[in-house]
Amino acid sequence: MAAKDSSPVVRLRDVTKAYGTGAAKAQVLRGVSFDIDKGELIALVGQSGSGKSTLLNVIGGLDKPDAGEVEVFGVDTQAASDAQLADLRNRKMGFVFQAFNLLDHLNVLGNVTLPAAFSHHTKQDEVDHRGREALRKVGLSDFAHRKPGELSGGQKQRVAIARALFGSPELLLCDEPTGSLDSDTGHEVIEFLRELNAKDGVTLLIVTHERRISSVAKRVIAMRDGMLVETTDEALAVAGKGGPK
Amino acid sequence: MMPVKRLTRMVVANTLRSRRHFVLSAFGIVIGIATFVVFLASTEQVGAVLEKIFPLDQVTVVAPRASLAGMDVSKKLDDKIVKTILERSEVKSALPRMSLVFPAAGRGDFEGNDLKFEVGGFADGIDPNVVDDDGRTKELFKDWDMDASDTKHRIACTPPPEPANGEIIQSPRARPKNYKPPEPKPVVPGGPVVEPEPEYFNECPDSDRYYCDGADRMCHHRVPIVMSPTMIELYNGQFAKSHGLPIADADFVKFVTQRGGLNAMRFSIGLGSTTIAGSNTSIKHKPRRLEGVLVGISTKAMPIGMTMPIGYIQRWNREFLGDEAASTYSSIIVTLKDKTQVAVFAQWLQDKLDLRLDDSLGEKFATVLFVIRLVLVLISLVIIGISAINIAHNFFMQVTERRRELGLLRAVGATQGDVRMVVLGEAGLIGLIGGVLGVGFGILLASAVDYASNHYLPRFPYKPATWFHFSWWIWTGGLVCAAGFAVLGGYLPARRASKMEPAQALTQN
Repeated sequence: MAAKDSSPVVRLRDVTKAYGTGAAKAQVLRGVSFDIDKGELIALVGQSGSGKSTLLNVIGGLDKPDAGEVEVFGVDTQAASDAQLADLRNRKMGFVFQAFNLLDHLNVLGNVTLPAAFSHHTKQDEVDHRGREALRKVGLSDFAHRKPGELSGGQKQRVAIARALFGSPELLLCDEPTGSLDSDTGHEVIEFLRELNAKDGVTLLIVTHERRISSVAKRVIAMRDGMLVETTDEALAVAGKGGPK
Repeated sequence: MMPVKRLTRMVVANTLRSRRHFVLSAFGIVIGIATFVVFLASTEQVGAVLEKIFPLDQVTVVAPRASLAGMDVSKKLDDKIVKTILERSEVKSALPRMSLVFPAAGRGDFEGNDLKFEVGGFADGIDPNVVDDDGRTKELFKDWDMDASDTKHRIACTPPPEPANGEIIQSPRARPKNYKPPEPKPVVPGGPVVEPEPEYFNECPDSDRYYCDGADRMCHHRVPIVMSPTMIELYNGQFAKSHGLPIADADFVKFVTQRGGLNAMRFSIGLGSTTIAGSNTSIKHKPRRLEGVLVGISTKAMPIGMTMPIGYIQRWNREFLGDEAASTYSSIIVTLKDKTQVAVFAQWLQDKLDLRLDDSLGEKFATVLFVIRLVLVLISLVIIGISAINIAHNFFMQVTERRRELGLLRAVGATQGDVRMVVLGEAGLIGLIGGVLGVGFGILLASAVDYASNHYLPRFPYKPATWFHFSWWIWTGGLVCAAGFAVLGGYLPARRASKMEPAQALTQN
C-alpha cells in the first residue's frame, strides 16, 4: 500500500452491495475496504462481473452501497444529500466511460462544457475558455464545433476525457476507457492518462482489462467475486485470468 | 438547482433536436388551445352583443297590472317611488320613463317614400340629461319648448292649412331658392285653365330645425327624437332591404349629413291621430299636428319606438288625458352598481314596494350563454387534457430512450431536481410553443369564420362584424393553460427520470 502523506481521497470500509432479491439476489461487493490516496494511479482489475464497475459507481456516488462506509474527499456519501453528491461529482470528480457517452445533438465544445450547466461558479466566457483549454489538453483544439458523429472512436474518447477534465477534478474515475478502442488508440489514451497523473497530479482509478494500464499503474487492485485482492503481484495474476494480457 | 439561463439553454436545445417528438407532443396542445381560445373568444363576443341588446346591469321596474271591477288599480310609479329606489345602496341610478299613453301617428318622407307609422304605444320620454351618446345628440336632445334661451325663435307664423279629411300632412318644406310657382294650365287638354293651389312653405328661420306649430301659430323647435341601436339594426336588417332603402351607417351623423342634414330626418306627428282606423274613437281631444326630428341614436332610447325628452310626453299626456297620466311613469330603468345584486334588489322591490322587475330576457340569455360557454370550455379542456396524457406518454418514451443521457447528466453534476427541471422544462416549452401555435391557429380559424360570415351570411339585426373577441385574458389563459397542462403531463415522466439510478442508466444499451 502506498504511503499516506495526508487523509485519503477515497476511504472504503466493509462496503457491500447486492442486486436483485430472493433467489435472484447477486452479491456484487462483499466487504470491500481500501483507501485511495491523493496522486495515486490505480488499476482496478478483475473478471467480468467481479464488481469493478459497481465499486467505481459507489465511489462516484452514482450507486449506493447496501452497507459499509464510503468517504470521498471527506464526505460520507451515505449521509450526504443528493445536492452534496452532485456538487462533489461536478467539482471534484470526473468520469470516463467505455462507451464515451457523448451527446450527439451537442458539438464537441458543448459536450466538454456540459458540467458547467450545473455549476453556478463560472461565467459563459470562462466556460468556453476552459472548454477549449480542456480540448487543447487532449489535442482536439480544432474539433470544437464538430459533432460527435464526425469523430473517430479515439477522438470521441479524448472528448470524453476533456469533459471529465473540464472541472479540473482531483479524482478521475475511468471505466474501461480503452475498451472500445483499437490497440494504438488505446495506447495513446493510456499514455495520456499516465501523463495526467504524473504531471497534473490527478488521482486516477481505472477499471480495466488492459494489461498496459496495469503496467503503468502505481497500484493494481484486483477483484474476485466482489472481494479485493490487493497486492500488485497477486492482482496481476487475478487480472491474467480475466481480460486480455 | 442549476442556473436558470443554462437550464433554459439546455431545454431549448433538447426540445428542438427531435422534430418527431416535438410534433407528436405539441399536436394535441395546438388543437386543444385553438378550440379553447376560439370557443372563449366567440362566447365573449356573443356575450358582448347580448349585453348591448340587454344591458345586464340594468333592470326595468314595472308595476304589476291590477284591476278591480274594470278599474285599473295598478300601483302608480311616480317621483316618490323613484326617490325611494334611489336611496337603496345597490342602486347607481334610476331613470323614469313615461310612455305616450294615447294614440298618435307619424308621417314622413324618407328617400322619396311617404312613410306613415304609429307613434302611440311606440314613444316614450326620458330625462334629456341622460342622453349623452355623442356631442351632437346631447346638444339637440332637450326640451326646447321649456328652454328659455330658445324664446328668440318664437316668431309668429302661419301654419299649413289642415286638410279637410283629417289626414296628417307631410312636414312642409322651406321655400327653395329660385322657386318658381307652377304655371296655370288646363286640367284636361283643351279645358279651362286652372290656377294651381299655392304650395305652403315652412316660413320659420332655421327651417331645418324649426316649424310653424298650429297650436300657438309660432315657430318651435321640432321635437328632438332618438332611436335605439336596435331600431337601426331592425331598419338595416329588415326594413331597408325590403323597401330598397340605404343601409344606415354606423356613424349616424355621417349618414344624416349625406342625406342633407336634419332636414331629411323631419316628420309630422299627429297627436290624437292614428293609422289604425277606428281605434281613437275614445279620444275626445281634437287632434293636432306638430313636428319631430330624429337627432341621433342612443342606447337610452326605448328598444322599439322613439324616445323624446320627458317634458314633451308629460305635457301631451296632460293635454290629452289629464294630470294623472302626466305624473305616472311607465317604468323605471334602474342601473345597479353590481349586476350580481339583481336578485337582492328584486326581492326588496317585491317586499317593500309591491313592484316587480320586467321579465329580463337578457338574464335568461346570459344564463344560457354561460352554460354554453361552460360546455365549450369543458370540451376544449378535455382536448387539452387528452393532449397532456399524450405528452405524458411521449415523455415516458423519451425518458426511457434517453436514460443514458439523463444518467450522464447526473454523472457530471446534475441533482435529481435538475433532471426533473430539464424534463419539466422541455414539457413546458413544448406546451408554450404549442400554445402560441394554438392561439395563432385559433385566430386564423376565427378570421376564416369572420370572412365567411361577412361574405356569405345575410345581414340580420345585431350581426357583428366579427364573431370573436380575443381579450388579452383569453390568449394569456390559452398560453398558461397550454404550458400548465404540458407540465402536468410531463410531471410523472420527469419524476421517473429524476429517480433513475444513474449507474444503471449509464449502462443502458
